[in-house]
Amino acid sequence: MIRERLRPLASQAKRTYVQLMLDVVGRSLEAISQVDDEVRGEVAVLPDGFLFSMQVMPKGPALFIRKQRDGSLQYLGGSVAQRPDLSIQFKHLHHAFLVLSFQEKTAQSFANDRMLVDGDLGYAVRMTRVLNRLETFILPRLVASRAVKEYPDNLGLPEKVFSAARIYLKVAMNFVDTVRSS
Amino acid sequence: MSYYEFFCPVKVIAGQAALEHLPYEFSSRAVKRPMVVTDKGVRNAGLLDKVLAACEEGGMDITVVYDDVPADSSKQTVTAIAKEYRKQKCDGILAIGGGSPIDTAKAVNILVSEGGDDIAQYAGSGVLKRPLKPFFVIPTTAGTGSEVTNVAVIADTEKEVKLPFASGFMLPDAAVLDPRMTLTLPPQITAATGMDAMTHSVEAFTCLAKNPLSDAYAAAAIRKISNNLLKVMEKPDDAERRLELAQASTMAGIAFSNSMVGLVHALGHSLGAACHLPHGLCMSLFLPYVLEYNLEEIREPLSELLLHLAGPEIYAMTPKSQRAEESIATIRKLRDDLHRHCGLPRTLQETGKVEKSQLDRIAQMTIDDGSIMFNPKEASLEDARAVLEKAWA
Ligand SMILES: [Zn+2]
Repeated sequence: MIRERLRPLASQAKRTYVQLMLDVVGRSLEAISQVDDEVRGEVAVLPDGFLFSMQVMPKGPALFIRKQRDGSLQYLGGSVAQRPDLSIQFKHLHHAFLVLSFQEKTAQSFANDRMLVDGDLGYAVRMTRVLNRLETFILPRLVASRAVKEYPDNLGLPEKVFSAARIYLKVAMNFVDTVRSS
Repeated sequence: MSYYEFFCPVKVIAGQAALEHLPYEFSSRAVKRPMVVTDKGVRNAGLLDKVLAACEEGGMDITVVYDDVPADSSKQTVTAIAKEYRKQKCDGILAIGGGSPIDTAKAVNILVSEGGDDIAQYAGSGVLKRPLKPFFVIPTTAGTGSEVTNVAVIADTEKEVKLPFASGFMLPDAAVLDPRMTLTLPPQITAATGMDAMTHSVEAFTCLAKNPLSDAYAAAAIRKISNNLLKVMEKPDDAERRLELAQASTMAGIAFSNSMVGLVHALGHSLGAACHLPHGLCMSLFLPYVLEYNLEEIREPLSELLLHLAGPEIYAMTPKSQRAEESIATIRKLRDDLHRHCGLPRTLQETGKVEKSQLDRIAQMTIDDGSIMFNPKEASLEDARAVLEKAWA
């Protein structure tokens, strides 16, 4: 007998959370790349038009970012027809959830074979540093020190830039609670 | 709780008269006309003849030999060898040599299995989806561990980039370790490649992706290197100890291909590229300084390694709080001894090939190297620069 199985609530919440967080990360990357010298320095090496993506396999939520000619990053949303120059692919929705809910460090997730890198590993190292830097801005200090290997002490960016991201984050955190409690 | 993956499907054929097992191994994969990929150094050292003679005696004449692989293999070399393979209607590959012939053969195997003339189209990880042609490897340096790693790097000399390839399908069917193949390795290369294997093990044991299985291989490899490297320097024709080093190199390769390497390799890749120094030497130059830099992150595993580096007596005599420092001291002493035996440089200055003005550039390259991802401590540009400064003199 064939029976349609309903996707459990926790799994749905996880998917929504990952989708939402990728959107937060995308928007925040765009914002941070316009103002933060450290991120601009990391990004400066990437070729103009460089397309970066983070995706959940197979065909799960994704984010696409393009390096602009002025040295900033542009968030292109969750799908782009072009093949990215560098993609970070989570092997499973749950692995993306672990990283995006800051329960597993990005570098550790790589080390644990939970994600694949397609593209230049040197660029991947740079993008990991950019993501670490981003996390230190959009997260409260306590959570951030868990998500990145070392917490930089030279943060000097105007808080308001990230207030929008923080609001997103609050919404997103509710999903984490939903997932955890189920 | 941790999570890890471990993969090594390579059959290891090791010991006395291991070469004589080749004809059987070829026949077990129905290979009738293998192509040998090697370099001039291997031929001139008489190692190629040993392999061909062992096969001939076993009823297998090997007639297709490409012995012109350059030290830094390029796209063009791969294309040329693949063309020859097709022309000669070969049905398998045997690589003999150090890192360059083995990497080249891995890339050739992709082309002759998947088709086409441009190896660049297969660059990246996870591109290959099915097994390649039968492939066998005989390493002739006890260091790189390439016979058990699933990666290869080939230079695209036109675009001036290095093309990385990674796939489990690139692993050979078997690796043959025969003491005759490393017996004549010159002292400095023996020392440098031994230190490369040592670094693979120590980094595998202390970096982010360490896991119980790679730990077991790494610890055992360190024990073999510690017990045999200096003895081989004293008595280069000791076949038994040569085999110990060859096995250690393969075990270290299995360890690091499953748990990756860290800052020593990131610095070493950069120094090697900037100053054209051999990879093993670069490893030896940075190993103790990087361990000092990482010390507080790796105190526990590094303390554990003292048992394998220095033996049970010294381990027992050293107070627990001093074991990590003692591990570093043991590695420093090994470097001093190697320097006495064969002049293997211990500092950047001693190489005579590095200018102090190059250090900034090398630091910059280091933080862009993929290996830095798995270093237990997140190294900034300033950190990399500081380690270089310490390694200077
Ligand atoms: Zn190495």
